[in-house]
Order: sequence, then C-alpha cells, then structure tokens
Amino acid sequence: MPETTIVNITVNGQAIQAKAGQTVLQAASAAGIDIPTLCDHPQLHSAGSCRVCLVEIEKQRTLQPACTFPVVEGLVVLTETEKVVAARKFSLQMLFSERSHYCMVCTASGTGTTSECELQKLAYRYGMDCFTYAPAWQHGWPLDASRRFFVMDHSRCVLCRRCIRACDEIAANHTLGVAQRGARTMVCADDDVTFADSSCVSCGTCLQVCPTGALSDRRSAFAGHASECKHVPTTCMGCAVGCGIKAVLRGNSILRLEGDWEGNTGGLLCATGRFESLQSPAPRIHRPMVRRDGKLVETSWDDAINAAARGLGGAASAAAFVTSRTVNETMIAVLEFLNEVLKSDQVSLLNGQAPPTELSPRAKLREVADADCIVVVGGDPIKHQKALGYLIRRAFDRQARIIIIEDSETGLDALAAQHMRLSAISHNGRSPFEMLRYSYHLSLNDLSQFRKATEEAQRPIVAYGTDLSSGVYAAMRTLPAKAHFLPLVLGANSAGAARYGIEPRGVDADALFVMAGDDLPDGQPIPEARFTVVQAAWQSRWTERADVVLPGRLWHEKRGQMVNLEDSLRPVVQLTEPPDQIGADWMPLAMMSAVLGRPGLFASMASVQGSL
Amino acid sequence: MPAKVKVASDWMTGCAGCHMSLLDMDQRLIELLEYVDLRSTPITDLKHPDKDGVDVGILEGCVNNSTTENVCRTMRSRCKILIALGDCAVFGGIPTMRNACSTAAALQRAYVETESTVDGQVPQHEDLAVMQEARAVDQVVDVDIYLPGCPPSADAIFYVLSELVAGRKPQLKGKLLDWH
Repeated sequence: MPETTIVNITVNGQAIQAKAGQTVLQAASAAGIDIPTLCDHPQLHSAGSCRVCLVEIEKQRTLQPACTFPVVEGLVVLTETEKVVAARKFSLQMLFSERSHYCMVCTASGTGTTSECELQKLAYRYGMDCFTYAPAWQHGWPLDASRRFFVMDHSRCVLCRRCIRACDEIAANHTLGVAQRGARTMVCADDDVTFADSSCVSCGTCLQVCPTGALSDRRSAFAGHASECKHVPTTCMGCAVGCGIKAVLRGNSILRLEGDWEGNTGGLLCATGRFESLQSPAPRIHRPMVRRDGKLVETSWDDAINAAARGLGGAASAAAFVTSRTVNETMIAVLEFLNEVLKSDQVSLLNGQAPPTELSPRAKLREVADADCIVVVGGDPIKHQKALGYLIRRAFDRQARIIIIEDSETGLDALAAQHMRLSAISHNGRSPFEMLRYSYHLSLNDLSQFRKATEEAQRPIVAYGTDLSSGVYAAMRTLPAKAHFLPLVLGANSAGAARYGIEPRGVDADALFVMAGDDLPDGQPIPEARFTVVQAAWQSRWTERADVVLPGRLWHEKRGQMVNLEDSLRPVVQLTEPPDQIGADWMPLAMMSAVLGRPGLFASMASVQGSL
Repeated sequence: MPAKVKVASDWMTGCAGCHMSLLDMDQRLIELLEYVDLRSTPITDLKHPDKDGVDVGILEGCVNNSTTENVCRTMRSRCKILIALGDCAVFGGIPTMRNACSTAAALQRAYVETESTVDGQVPQHEDLAVMQEARAVDQVVDVDIYLPGCPPSADAIFYVLSELVAGRKPQLKGKLLDWH
C-alpha cells in the first residue's frame, strides 16, 4: 500500500490536515467540523444529490457539495457563511415543498436533537418556521405497504437515494432504482412493481439508512421516541453468521433490531435476523404443564419439576436433544445434567449441523466482500446463512469469480462463473443413522479446476457445507495456503455445540429431555420415547407430544455466548426480561438435579455464565 | 399607562389544541392581561373580532372550506398583525392529508366507506360550507408571524405575545421552535 499523502486545507480559518482522496466532508468531520448532510451516509458512496452540504470553496465559481468535492493542497473552505446558509435554507425549502413533510403525522418525528428524521433536524437547525413554497398536491404520492415488515411512504421521500445505494452496495441485491425524471422521480423496485412482487429480500438495509420517515418499520412505528430508547449491541441468533446487532430498546421491549455498523458483517442483516426473530411464530408457553389422563394441564413449577425428575431419573436409559438456537451455557448445562445426573452420554443436536471437519485458516466475514474468488461447496448461503450470501454477492459486484459446487439449485447460481456437480455416493456409515445421510464427492476434472481457480486468485475463500465426502474434505486440504475457509454451519450455534461434542446423532432411550428453547420443529424427527420432557418457549408438535412441558426463554431473554461460522465467540446479551419469571435455561435442570439427589450441581452456573 | 394591546383569536380547521396550549401559559396569562385586552376568542364570550379592528389577530387551524376562508379573511381585514398559530395554520397540518385525493373521494370515505358506517350518505345542503383544498393560512392571506408546533409550547406563545407587547418583532428559534 502506498503511503497516504497528507494535504493541508483550511476550513473556517482552521488549518487541518486531510488525506488525499478524502472529500471535504470527510476531512471536515474527521477534524470535528460539522457540515450538515442529508443524502450522504458514512457507509455509502457519496451521491451529491440533496445539496444540503453546499460549502463555499475559494476559487470555485459556485457553491460546491462538500460530500463529493475532493480535498487538494491549499483548499480554503467556508462552511457556514451567509451565502452558504441561504443556499442550504433554499435547498430545505425545496425539499419540504416537494412532497408531504408534515411532521406531526410522521413516525420519525422528534426534537431537534433526538429526531430520527434528519430532514426535520435540519429544519430546526436552520430555523424553518413555515413553508416558503406550499407542497404541490396534484395526485398525492403512493404508499407501498405490500411488504410484511416495513412500509414505503413516497410522500416522505426526499430522493436522497440512500436506500438505492444501500441495496446496491451493502445488500448487493440491486432491487431499487428510480423511475421517471425531475420532479416526478420516484424510488421504485425492479421494473416499477410493488415491493412484494419485486426481487426485494426484505433485509431492511434501506430502512436502516433512510433519513426520513419514508421507510418505516411496522413494529416500532409510533412505539416510542428515539429519546426514550437505548441501543444495545448483541449477536443475532437467527443463523450461524451471528451478525452484530444494535437492539433498539424501550423499557422491557425491543422496538427493532438494526445492523451494527461496527459489527462483523458491517451493518448487514437479513429478514430473519432483523424482523422474523422478533415475531411470535406460535403461542408462548407461560406455565409448566404435565400430562394427566392423556391431557396436558398447567401446574406449579414444583409439581412439574418433580414429575420430570421422576420420569427422567426412573428411566432405564435417558437421552437429550438440545437446539442449536441457544447459547453455549445451555449446551454445557444439558451435557452436565445428562452426564452427571442421568449418567448418559446421549446428547444430540436439534436443527443444526456443523461440517464434521475443520479446515483452516478460517476466513473472517469482513474479508468476504474483498475476496477475488469464492468457491461454495455443498451449501446455499443465500438460503441458510443469508448475510454471508449477500456478502458473496457484494464480492461478485467487485469482480470476484464465483464457483458453485452443488447438485441442487442455489441462490447464487446466477452469479456463478462455473457450476460443478457433486455425485452422491452411498455412505458406508457405521451407525444406522449415518447411513441415512448423503455424502458427495467431486470428479477429478472438476477437482483440478477448483484447485486451479484458488491458485490463480489472490484472496480466495472456500465456503464448505456439511455432508461432503471425506474425499472432498481431503481435496480442500490440498488447496494453497492463501485459501481461507468458512464452514456453512447449519443452525445458529452448531459450532458452539461442536466444541462440546454435541452433534446430530441417533439416540435410543426410554426417556428424553428436549431443550427446544425458542426453536420450532423443521423436519428432523425426535424419536418416540416412553417419557419426554420438553423445555420450550413456543407451543409446537414437540410440546404437544411431551409428558412434561417446561417454559423456556427466547433468544433475547438469554445471556451467554455463541460461536459463529468464523469460529469467534460472540456475546448474546439479554435484552428483555421474560414473562412470568421464566428462569434461565439451566434453572429447571438444577431443580431436577436437586430432586434427583444432586443439589448444587449447577450452583456455579451463574458464575460460569460470566466466565465462559 | 399606555393603552392595552387588543388581541383577538379564532379557530378554523384544527383540534383546539393550540388554544389549550395558550391556556397552558397559566399564571403568565394573568400577567399578560395587564398589557393585553383580550377581545373575541373561541374561549371568551365575544365571538367576532371588533369591526373597528384589533392590534393582533391569532388564527388556529387551516383553511379548508368556504366558512373557514371567511373566518380567515375577516380576521386578516380586522387585525394589524396576524399570527398563524400551530402547524395547521402555518403548514396546513393534518387536514392536508386529504389533499392527496379528490374532495369527492374524501367525502365518500368519511361519510360512506368508514368501517363503522351503515347506510351512510354524503351530506348535501345549500347552507353547508363548500369544501376546498386544505391550505395553510399564508396560502389565503398574508401572515406576519409564524408560530409552528403541534401544538406550539406555552413558552413559545408567551414569548411571541410578550415580544409584541414590548413592541418588538419576535424571532422564534432554537428550543422555542422545537415543540416536541
């Protein structure tokens, strides 16, 4: 990397040093000088469309937008002169006259310091007390509420094009654009269709960058002012990517989830993480239940714990299932309960799977968008690790070569320079369960092409899935050292589970304990047993079948850590208190242990939570 | 002691919230009355501004039919300084939401299609006001002082009136403009 050239500029009489290539806006804000903007966003390329950041620059005939004007040696800039302020006010007057910017009926409205609307903040800053030009109401403006989670109200849009740039540059989905020209310009999806009919994936990145109330979240609209909220960083438990989240909290409720710009995916989230993870997919279980005369009836905690402990402790053999959608601490607690109290080593993972082989060096998610060759072997990140899929698309936009090695269709097929097939081979598994699993291998010709592609690339990344044959894993080990690997882990914390030896396996037992958490059945069967205890947050097929049901916590009611597909330990912060004093995942296990004569087994669990 | 400043107010299409905010001046209202002769207002007995005029006229609400237009023009013609009080008077406010469709569509929605209406019909009578597009006061007559907010704070209203009483033109900015 060449050393950055330093240039000297003067802003409002203050001498500052800037880096060549920076814009006036970047140089000024680095020096703590505030230039107001509307269309500019630190995470996006500058567009220069709103004319709010206009500044006076010596030797320039007209005012210039600070967000696009590059610094050069000796530049003299004035950011708040009478001429500049007049021009800014004029820009604001034009923006306000264009559509319906009536703050009193807008969810983004707030005070001059805490408003979520950057347009309103600017109006306060420049003392706008009336509309110089009344809005032109010929036909009104369309409102697109066709999507489930957020609404586009064109009447609030200022055509800053942040959403379009976010869709292109961050989500790399390229859904948004503009239709028409001039005063008739409208943000549109694809070929000007409704959002629901478009290629939009509802990742909500546009929602997060919108400076006004044009894009608004249904859940948090009018649910609280920004001044009443706090932003808490945590980790998404939607899948194994473990995206960095900033949760917007008001009291004991989560208003919405936003991508953490400082996080591992640079602010990127998917619909699952941003929206679906706050939905209630089924009725919540509030009270413990036991089966009496064939029917589940609500009962006290003591009664349920006694029944569960008797059933599990009295069985000839016991096994447990634990969901991948939970923190490491829960995994350890289940493992300890089974090993120490029920004297069983049968603990199986539910709804998740990590590739059995670890390949190194491990890639970081931050590197994905900069890779110049990405090979996806046996998996579909667009379906199962969405944010990673979007990062791969971003790499494609930067000319990365994408190679897909997979039999079925994947969401990345359209980007693939090459699409190779895996051949299914019969698996001579040791156990009956393993014999059910598919395994794949790669033809010699394809293998050599795969190797050649990674050798030719500067920064190749190989994302590999589960169920590949040992031959494919062996082939991947022979790739050049510059190749970095990412396992396409299925399930949120299967990588954490793998650290404790918990993976999907066949179990054979009289009694079952199922730690379902806030997970739901998605196909993988749980074997019939004579006695089943399910600890779950939602009613499901699992709880309907159970003999004892214990209420469980949701992901944002837990505290602990998870391991994502980067193999990094990530904090899962408790955001809300559960209803009805539902205890931490390990509490019922501790209570059952006490009934079964092992009090104190989890005495240290609370401290373990902190130290892990 | 100089003559008291004559002030009249009226409301058009609004929610009366701005006049509530005016009352929120509380004790300061009594202090103001030492300098102000409060003439016609919707909350006093006198209902129309004096024919021989007042010094300061205050209008709340927007203009959206022939009746409110009449109220607006009468106030303008009878006052020296006109204050547009609140977001509806200043910008048009919430009633402008119906400008996004035609008057006929708005009436149909309000009187016939509302979910709670059975056998509704659009009222029609020659005595009824004629509907117009909802407009801010300054789209109908000249406005001297804009006092925005939904509603403007009692502090802002007190500031404006006390400045006028002192013979100065109020300059609203900062916290007084930020009504949240």
